[in-house]
Amino acid sequence: MASSSKEQLSSPGGILPFLIKYNTVFIFVLLVVFSAFISDVFFTSVNLSNLLKQVSGIGIISIGMLIVILTGGIDLSVGSMIALLAVAFALLVNIFALPLAILMTIAIGFSLGSVSGYLVAYQKMAPFIATLALMTVARGLAFIYSKGSPITFDTYGGLYMSNFANNSFLGIPNIAIVFFIIVILAMIMLRYNVFGRVIIAIGSNEEASRLSGLKVNKYKFLVYAISGALAAIAAIIVASRTNLGSPNMGMAWELDAIAAVVIGGASLSGGRGTAINTLMGVLILGLISNILNLLNVPSYPQQVVKGAIIIFAVLLQRFENK
Amino acid sequence: MQNSTSEYRLEMSGISKRFGVVSVLENVNLKVKHGEIHALLGENGAGKSTLMKILSGVHQKDAGRVVLNGKEIAPKNTHDGQVLGINVVYQELSLVNDLSVAENIYLHKLGASKFWMNWKKINKDAQELIDSLGFKIDATAKVRDLSIVQKQVVEIAKAISEDTEILVLDEPTTVFDPTDTQKLFDNLFKLKERGISIIYISHHLEEIFKIADTVTVLRDGVDTGSIPVKETDTDGVIQLMIGRKLEDLYPERNSTLGGAPIFEVKNLSAKDTLVHDVSFAVRPGEVLGIAGLGGSGRTETAKLIFGADRKKSGQIFLNGEEIATRSPSEAVDHNIGLVSENRKEEGVFLPLSIQKNISVTDFSAISGKFGFINAENESKNVNNLIEKLNIKTPSAEVPVKNLSGGNQQKVALAKWLSIDSKVILIDEPTRGVDVGAKVEIYSLINEVAQNGVGVIVISSDMPEIMGIADRILVMHEGTIYGELSKEEFTEENILRFAIGEPLKK
Repeated sequence: MASSSKEQLSSPGGILPFLIKYNTVFIFVLLVVFSAFISDVFFTSVNLSNLLKQVSGIGIISIGMLIVILTGGIDLSVGSMIALLAVAFALLVNIFALPLAILMTIAIGFSLGSVSGYLVAYQKMAPFIATLALMTVARGLAFIYSKGSPITFDTYGGLYMSNFANNSFLGIPNIAIVFFIIVILAMIMLRYNVFGRVIIAIGSNEEASRLSGLKVNKYKFLVYAISGALAAIAAIIVASRTNLGSPNMGMAWELDAIAAVVIGGASLSGGRGTAINTLMGVLILGLISNILNLLNVPSYPQQVVKGAIIIFAVLLQRFENK
Repeated sequence: MQNSTSEYRLEMSGISKRFGVVSVLENVNLKVKHGEIHALLGENGAGKSTLMKILSGVHQKDAGRVVLNGKEIAPKNTHDGQVLGINVVYQELSLVNDLSVAENIYLHKLGASKFWMNWKKINKDAQELIDSLGFKIDATAKVRDLSIVQKQVVEIAKAISEDTEILVLDEPTTVFDPTDTQKLFDNLFKLKERGISIIYISHHLEEIFKIADTVTVLRDGVDTGSIPVKETDTDGVIQLMIGRKLEDLYPERNSTLGGAPIFEVKNLSAKDTLVHDVSFAVRPGEVLGIAGLGGSGRTETAKLIFGADRKKSGQIFLNGEEIATRSPSEAVDHNIGLVSENRKEEGVFLPLSIQKNISVTDFSAISGKFGFINAENESKNVNNLIEKLNIKTPSAEVPVKNLSGGNQQKVALAKWLSIDSKVILIDEPTRGVDVGAKVEIYSLINEVAQNGVGVIVISSDMPEIMGIADRILVMHEGTIYGELSKEEFTEENILRFAIGEPLKK
């Protein structure tokens, strides 16, 4: 006993353990410095604001993905949900007042997420399977309701939204502000609220959670519903940027979201991960695309580099876990 | 003994084995003759299974010699053991559900012989083997579709399907009814005639006296000697199995028991387990012990009360009022707590901090509106408990996995003390806990009871349960077989009830 408490007391010194502990931040800083050296355009406000706009949509669904992954689950449906919900929002905003259209879209997202949640929590279906099914259903519905082609905003409400999505406040793109607010809310909920405590407990030991009297099913249901609602917010943002809702939106975004969460150090088996690190993961992925675009690297090599970074990040985390 | 080594087929001598710092076997000897049925007895945790796992190659011995047919052997895995002719039927079934009966029986040979399988022959051989055992099972059926009894038969068939020299059976009859048991015994006698040596582990003493030639008793990892069955009787064997001295581990119980029961269970039966018709009452301040052998339904009873298993029928009363515990969260709402026997998998959250482990049972005291946690209240509450329970840690932020077994167990207890529990069920309070922490946990249980909580302690450790309980219920085959008052506490009495025999007059 004495030896193990000593280990705890003396925090390891030196630069390497520090780097391993904050590996996500380390990679992020490394990439920023590297980008700044390699390209003159990188540190321009236009480029940085573009970068933030590009990552905001994926960033928001990554936060949803994080809370699902914290419980030990996974949500493969979010990419397709973006397509369906973007189409839904375009249709709704052309009929109803803007606030109502936004609320209705979020409600649809929440309900679709609830379907996954119900299947996982109450029907004991594997999260991978349940959300895989939802993924196909959502994509299919997106094509059905849009009749296969993009739906443009053609009312005042729609125009207002696309204005909002393409403008900035104090130099920060509005949609990035929405993303950051969601990150901060997630941080607060995960760190200071019972909600975060419970989902981390479930992810770290589901049976012990049940035997501690936690309402495991309720929370498992809830995380998928929230992930759906966040997909709705992302969909509204993504659609508003281009002034239309298309059934082709969000293709394979669920994989980018999972990658961001994993680069952010979360464990796919649950119980470990933070909102701030997921934000880092999102920014790292965005940075890689950004700098490779600036260097005119074609998109196929970009994918190879992305994959390599994921492997590198996860290998680093293995040291941390030791 | 050295005059006729050839008399024995198997000689295990001076076997020792430690797991970490815990010594499981110390200088154990076991000698088995050709064509002998040798019973191996002992309480739970006495080391029987470990000894057999060393024989079969699952574990490696730290010291000692294993001699088979005059040659020293040291199997490194179960395959080595099988090649040497040592086959074991474990308590936990090890069949592949998705394969057929025949495939399971010849699993070890699949892929070993030729490229093409002769399914006709395999199925025919398997069918003949099962028929010869006298059971009716289709060799081509999927194991998944078999009953538990049939699975056990397949398991046994698998073990004797090749050139078995030594057959080990670990509690083979727990799922059998008397007819099936008799069939098994007939088969064992046949195998014995073929010269196969059988090591038979069982809690049922009557079985031992029916079939065994010799009996060896293990106690706390030490063998207390082997005797021919003819020269002993039930009392003699029980004498060998117990015989420890109670130490001064246990706190003085000067319980002032309240009159009306704080907690009562009436005719509780489970939907999915063997537990049936369990009734008992606990008075405030009482420590009620539940004893019984492994598989008698003790843990299942606790889980049933706590709402973790599904109930078929029965009632639960708290302070005279009927309550429903359909889920653990309902039980916790009624201030009932359960400390699981399986600490690492069900009791604590290993990667999480002590603080998060303790707070998990009740957030209402430490959180305000909208579920935001008041850090000050939380750390006050947690630090109080760390101090009260003497959990040895530099801070409340330390992950529980870094604590010793005893301190982990204290954390598992602390989470039920942080809520105002009225009833606490404690399953194996000191499993994997060192002696120092044991004493602390015992006096903690004592203290909790004195504060008017109804404490129900389940334990396989007989001295422990006699040391801390005011009254002991003994379970046998899923229900309460008998009750012992403090004056009647002896290991022999517990053991008699546990194996389903009346007390000796």
